[in-house]
Amino acid sequence: MTLTLRIVLIICSIISFLLCVTKIKQAKLKVENSVTWMIGSIVLIVMSIFSNVVEWISYKLGFMAPVNFVFLIIIGFLLIQTFIDNIRISTLNEKIKDLNHYIALKEKNVK
Amino acid sequence: MGKKVLIIVPAYNEELNIEKTIKDLTSKTDYDYLIINDCSKDNTKEVCEKNGFNILSLPINYGLTSGIQVGMKYSYENGYDIVIQFDGDGQHEAKYLKDLVKEIENDNCNIAIGSRFVTKKKPKSMRMLGSRLLTVAIKITTGKTIKDPTSGMRAFDKKAIEEFVKNNSLTPEPDTLVYMLKKKMKIKEVQVEMKEREFGESYLNPIKSAQYMINMFFSILFIRAITRKNK
Repeated sequence: MTLTLRIVLIICSIISFLLCVTKIKQAKLKVENSVTWMIGSIVLIVMSIFSNVVEWISYKLGFMAPVNFVFLIIIGFLLIQTFIDNIRISTLNEKIKDLNHYIALKEKNVK
Repeated sequence: MGKKVLIIVPAYNEELNIEKTIKDLTSKTDYDYLIINDCSKDNTKEVCEKNGFNILSLPINYGLTSGIQVGMKYSYENGYDIVIQFDGDGQHEAKYLKDLVKEIENDNCNIAIGSRFVTKKKPKSMRMLGSRLLTVAIKITTGKTIKDPTSGMRAFDKKAIEEFVKNNSLTPEPDTLVYMLKKKMKIKEVQVEMKEREFGESYLNPIKSAQYMINMFFSILFIRAITRKNK
């Protein structure tokens, strides 16, 4: 990994980490929902600092360049994150539907 | 035997059709009915209230599946033995409902479908191609033949109603028939006629139809096909 890439990764990770913290403080983000983001940024920082370890692993796994390995990890992380979000949306959808039914049935009984 | 029968009429923007549908229902049968108004944007609700129809209004528009599900909950809470799903757009005719109920009352089946193609041949149109494919998919997964899987006129007995209340993922679509068959329920088809709709727009356009078919195939082949049967 080049030094520039490492610096960019570290800066971006720190910014996203701080963003998470401020959003939690403003109560716009729940702690349990943001843990994955914070862990993700910590992992990126660690990977940028100990870049020789990353280079060694990516070499052993047969990557053409260590940076590809870094990208793969980021993509994998994003896929997991979207999948989790997908499940959350579905759960919320079901909950709203149940509420919708509950209100309608209740109103029907009142009449 | 005198089983309690409820006809569920899901209605979304059906102000032009609903009055006729309900008049047809009340003149041809003496079953209870319930209009499920899925938060219509037009005057469906006002039309129903003006006529004193039995109506349940959902505060948020959530689609046909949700409408049927809430109808199932209602009938379960109020102790109905048979629920009939009946379209509010005037395509279905009430005179056939007695035949559906009779099939269930005589213990011939758990689900009775008002089918267009028991004795008549399926026309060879694009729409019917989808219907044929679904018939094949159901045949592959369950071994049973359902000639009109997309028919929206279906009667469910108490066992099927309970499945609907228990399982939130069930839809009023062909994949649920596969689920029910896997649960060892019997499905029977009764010959009916259906009309073309008079007013309003059908929700089916080519893109939505394709989407519907893809959803149904995935659901039937990969989800409903692996349903565990009840002990």
